[in-house]
Amino acid sequence: MTVAAIEETETKSPAPVGSPDAKSEAMVRLLTCGSVDDGKSTLIGRLLWDAAGVTDDQRAAIMHASHKRAVNGESIDFSLLLDGLQAEREQGITIDIAWRYFETERRRFVIIDSPGHEQYTRNMATGASHADVAILLVDARHGVKRQTRRHAAICNLVGIKKVIVAVNKMDQIDWSEERYRAIENDFMSLAANFSFTEITTIPVAALTGANVVASAAEMPWHSGPTLLEYLEGVDPKTESADAPFRMPVQLVLRASDDFRGYAGTVTSGEIKVGDRVVDARSGLSANLTRISTMDGDLETAKKGDAVTLVLDTDIDISRGAVLSEVKRRPVNADVIEARLVWLSEKSFDPEAGYLLRTATDLTPVTSMSVSALIDFETLASAQAHDCGVNDIADCRILLGRATALDLFRDLPLTGNFVLINAIDGATVAGGVITWVQTGASAVGENVLVLDRARLAGLCADLGQSEVDRAEFERRAQEVAILLRSAGVPVLIETDR
Amino acid sequence: MTALTSHLKLLEAESIHIFREAASQFRKPVLLYSIGKDSTVLLHLARKAFWPAKLPFPLLHVDTTWKFREMIAFRDRAVKDFGLDLIVHTNHDGLARDMNPFDHPPSVYTDIMKTQALRQALDTGGFDAAFGGARRDEEASRAKERVFSFRAAGHRWDPRLQRPEMWQLLNGRLAMGETVRVFPLSNWTEADVWRYITLEKLDVVPLYFAAERPVVERDGQFIMVDDERMRLKPGETPQTRKVRFRTLGCYPLTAAIESEASDLDAIVTETLEARVSERAGRLIDHDQDGAMEMKKREGYF
Repeated sequence: MTVAAIEETETKSPAPVGSPDAKSEAMVRLLTCGSVDDGKSTLIGRLLWDAAGVTDDQRAAIMHASHKRAVNGESIDFSLLLDGLQAEREQGITIDIAWRYFETERRRFVIIDSPGHEQYTRNMATGASHADVAILLVDARHGVKRQTRRHAAICNLVGIKKVIVAVNKMDQIDWSEERYRAIENDFMSLAANFSFTEITTIPVAALTGANVVASAAEMPWHSGPTLLEYLEGVDPKTESADAPFRMPVQLVLRASDDFRGYAGTVTSGEIKVGDRVVDARSGLSANLTRISTMDGDLETAKKGDAVTLVLDTDIDISRGAVLSEVKRRPVNADVIEARLVWLSEKSFDPEAGYLLRTATDLTPVTSMSVSALIDFETLASAQAHDCGVNDIADCRILLGRATALDLFRDLPLTGNFVLINAIDGATVAGGVITWVQTGASAVGENVLVLDRARLAGLCADLGQSEVDRAEFERRAQEVAILLRSAGVPVLIETDR
Repeated sequence: MTALTSHLKLLEAESIHIFREAASQFRKPVLLYSIGKDSTVLLHLARKAFWPAKLPFPLLHVDTTWKFREMIAFRDRAVKDFGLDLIVHTNHDGLARDMNPFDHPPSVYTDIMKTQALRQALDTGGFDAAFGGARRDEEASRAKERVFSFRAAGHRWDPRLQRPEMWQLLNGRLAMGETVRVFPLSNWTEADVWRYITLEKLDVVPLYFAAERPVVERDGQFIMVDDERMRLKPGETPQTRKVRFRTLGCYPLTAAIESEASDLDAIVTETLEARVSERAGRLIDHDQDGAMEMKKREGYF
């Protein structure tokens, strides 16, 4: 993409990124969220339009479609750049997140535009979990709404640390500084509930472009950066340099010459050839002899690298194991406490069968209970036992077997999970681990294990084919639901 | 060692992660290989993900029989060079009914020779997951897609009911009859693809480089006369122009652009400065509003 439009605004000296000529290599993943009709898609459309992330044929198509719809009178409807689904265009709303990539002279960006409707919160949560920085939009006429607070709480839950509060539609309130300050104060006081490290508020008007790329003459009292200036200067990194090494094993690769390697992506820290690594689940350790890639062996591997590790002794681990450094290991936990956002239309059901999907492991849940819900008016926790779609809940989960876990606040990529409905595979919740414990007495002798032997009669017609194994699992899950409803803790054992 | 930028290294690692997750979670995956630049990068990343082991899945090419000749030659060479297991599928029923891009509108031809052909091949092979090279920056409905894109029985995509996909966690549990399209290049842009091809020194089909080629001009676009089956309209005579292709498909439906870019560096520069989006040259995308989304709902990639 060309950057002609940026050059025109160059006189206003945006915040420098490293050396002035150097383009920052790190991509900023930017979420836009906020309540419906606060103007998210329009703001991002305007940002792309002014920062030249729009090609000529797209410009022509948008002009054409805008005239057809004429939603904003005669002006261009910038939201059409983002709302790519037919239903979205017809209804003038955003249903699912859109990913838009663009580069300016200084930076690469991916913008994740998320829907404001409460009904599509699951899509917003999906988008938020991929972002480094969030733009939370607030309509200057209405201030912070319930849905704004819900979105802020979800941003906080998924680990976003830097938030821009864009107070939009300033043109509709005569560019009133007084009104803007009131909204700013309101947000700052509610943000005390969260662990954001950087909050920047900017008054903008997406429709006119004020403070989006160019600063606005109408608001001389705003001394801070424009939106693009802030985005070109922000540092997206948050993790400390000294994080402990973790690599969840995705699969074991075997090849000729007795090659056996553990393939995975390093989720934190660094490892070098000769270091000792341990499998937290079994406690077995070995020395790292090779870091293998198709481009040749490496001496070290660090966070983000997709590699294959070769060890000097066979410690018999497979997918689901987490290789870690010896000193600071994950906990081999079978009881966790977590905060989660419920994503499924079907409410939480203590008798249903769930699976816990962590980095690369899939662990059956033996029991689960909800202890509290976030109240989106006050942002305080209130005691509760139920949880439904779009709720944020604190819960306690007992696992059918222990697995290697960290706390999310320490190591996000080995401390997060999604909860899966065991019957239809749907992702019902996404959560972060807040507390772990190992060797809980609740799991063990008094758990009824359902395996092929115990269900031999019910499954006498089933063989070993893929289809039959899946059918075994389905029947076992149905039996488990009956048993749980009678108060019997159950664990399903499959050989898949 | 390669000299990838940190940005490309990150994209590469993310794609490798996706390949490994899919290969671990699905019973029988297949890689949709369409010979173009994205497929070239896709295949290269797949080899990296499982190296030194062999690819744990076959490749599938849906051949409409109207691909550029140079594409087929390139495909066969890649199969030989990398020792690949390639399945080629053509909708023979469509061929028997003489489905061609001249007598039928692009939407009908594409549905039968590409979408239906793909569904036939996936069903026949019993594949529960198919890797594709689609990128979110290509088109507005693709910008909305997940990395694991679930399809109900009959390969239908319902954009209103996409599964949540949080953090790096990819949930591959399938309900009965469900299948998945997997997009490891989701977060790549056209410029990323070309920069990666340059730095990794990958071979691509020569049609991407500018050269003198026989073309006719139709509605302001250049269509290449790739073989004797090309039907000329009254008054049309093939002329020689220096052109190249930004994207490759069936030759009568893929427009070339005039260009001087005859090496990779020139292509990268041209891509960065482009004022028109990549798929503008795909005639099948534009015959109606929301054309891509409609094709995707029916099971097109």
